[in-house]
Amino acid sequence: MTTSSQGDLPSPVVSPVLRAPQRPLRRLREGWPAYLFVLPSVVLMAYFSYVPAYTAITRAFTDWDGLNVPTFTGLENFQRALTDPVMGQAALNAGIWVVLGLLLAVIPPLLIAELIFNLRGERRQYAWRSLFVVPIVVPSLVLLLMWGTFFRSDGLINTVLSSVGLGAWRHDWLSDPSTALYSLIFLGFPYVDVFFLLLLYSGLQNIGTEVFEAGKIDGATGWRRVLYLDLPLLKPQLGLIVLLSIIGNVQYFISPLVLTSGGPGYATTVPALLMYNTATRNGEYGYAMAIAVLLMLVVIVLTGASRLIGRERS
Amino acid sequence: MSRRSLTAGELVRNAILLVLALLSLFPVYFSLVNSLKSPVQYAENLLNLPATLHPENYVLAWEQIKGPLFNSVIVTLSSVLATVIFAALSAYALALIDFPGRRLLFGLIFALLLVPDFLTLIPLYVQIKSLTLPSNYLAIILPTVAAGQPFAILVLYAAFRAMPRDMLEAARLDGAGHWALLRSIVLPLSLPILVSVSIIRLVPVWNDFLLPSLVLDEVHRTVPVALVGFQGGGAATGSTPNYGALMASYVLSALPLVVLFLFLMRSYVQGVTSGGVKA
Repeated sequence: MTTSSQGDLPSPVVSPVLRAPQRPLRRLREGWPAYLFVLPSVVLMAYFSYVPAYTAITRAFTDWDGLNVPTFTGLENFQRALTDPVMGQAALNAGIWVVLGLLLAVIPPLLIAELIFNLRGERRQYAWRSLFVVPIVVPSLVLLLMWGTFFRSDGLINTVLSSVGLGAWRHDWLSDPSTALYSLIFLGFPYVDVFFLLLLYSGLQNIGTEVFEAGKIDGATGWRRVLYLDLPLLKPQLGLIVLLSIIGNVQYFISPLVLTSGGPGYATTVPALLMYNTATRNGEYGYAMAIAVLLMLVVIVLTGASRLIGRERS
Repeated sequence: MSRRSLTAGELVRNAILLVLALLSLFPVYFSLVNSLKSPVQYAENLLNLPATLHPENYVLAWEQIKGPLFNSVIVTLSSVLATVIFAALSAYALALIDFPGRRLLFGLIFALLLVPDFLTLIPLYVQIKSLTLPSNYLAIILPTVAAGQPFAILVLYAAFRAMPRDMLEAARLDGAGHWALLRSIVLPLSLPILVSVSIIRLVPVWNDFLLPSLVLDEVHRTVPVALVGFQGGGAATGSTPNYGALMASYVLSALPLVVLFLFLMRSYVQGVTSGGVKA
């Protein structure tokens, strides 16, 4: 049964689990098409993912300018990054962003998922769920640029403030150092991330009727059910959202890049933007890579920490 | 599902959802009504429906956005298509063929999920700039396909592993090669998941801004890059753009995804809700 009727076809190896381990030579012969199958992916990932990652990490220790052969400078770039006051300001901004961004990533989607889930009728739930997916058709850059116009002195926010009698609060939101950062963070009201919403909603669906029935007997209804049943049982989904939100916000810099260029002053500068500008504007690629590597370390530490906290709670 | 809800509670929930849904959809309303206003009408009122319509805004916007729209469609479709084809090949090999190095390869692919985009952005830019490519489109298509591999491979890997083994074994015994097996059994059976992976990957590719803005030239630039260009360098600058035409270009730039989601909304929702959390 191991010899196939067509000469050049490999013999049947379908399930590596069901079969006993074979001698390496035979395994290689039988599995050789596998190497052809993975070739395109492997070549692309090697060249467009692994090589740049390697470049980034190794060039962080050099004075690379993007063109010439770099010379090794040891930890000089890292020293500079850690003592640069602009970097301090940027790190503070990113910290505020990560903390507030976490609230925006969790609370609105959770609220809406619960509201939809507690409606009567499958079809009504499906209709609402679909309605909240619709805004995904708006390109994210469009949302960003549109909010940019809302924040202008002649923009929507000031118009609304004037019309409800809060004209004193009028502002040039993105040009005032005290409001610019918060304007960017709180851009996108009502902050319903479609992906997070669907994740939480499907998490609620997976809990199962018998759990809720049992909870009802113990008096877990309404808010008590959300607090004592839903939230603990949604932990895998919430954990993933926390993780994705932190990782996303640590490295996010598109809105400061496009709307404020990090200003006024350094009010909306974050480390990732600093990294980008250091390379593309100043041509200090080596220093930029050091910032990138530091940022990656932060991401790794935060990821590890959130996993640890998640594990301790269970 | 809970059946305890009073009519009042149900009413309140629906009301809150309605308000939040309308707020979520507000950008759509804002761009639609303002895309039909003259600059004077825009300055007078940002929220009303204009008394006289100015469809000529769309003519102006179309002139500017048609090139980038074409580029975006080309780049997005070919990137997603290639992503799914290559990922399906790899996932098939990893899931259903036994070969030395399988585990190592799996580890290497999985490790890439942990490499953040900002780390590779600048080196990738330098690397691509030094390449001579037959078309500038490839400068963004190739890295985009590469970046999509880990996610697509892992999802398809899980799907292929869950396929009925006896059917595959039987086909193998009948003399079907791996290629025939993939084409005539594995891919047709996993069509729904292939569509889901495609549409889930398509959204971020369509919206991608950073790398396209660095590697694409003026002629090949995609919609997000072009839109930032229209704005004239950020809201902080003093110049006032033609808002009507700007909003019209926003509306036009959303149309391809509107069409797509008319047909594939269900695939997207099911894809996200079924494959979200595995851990």
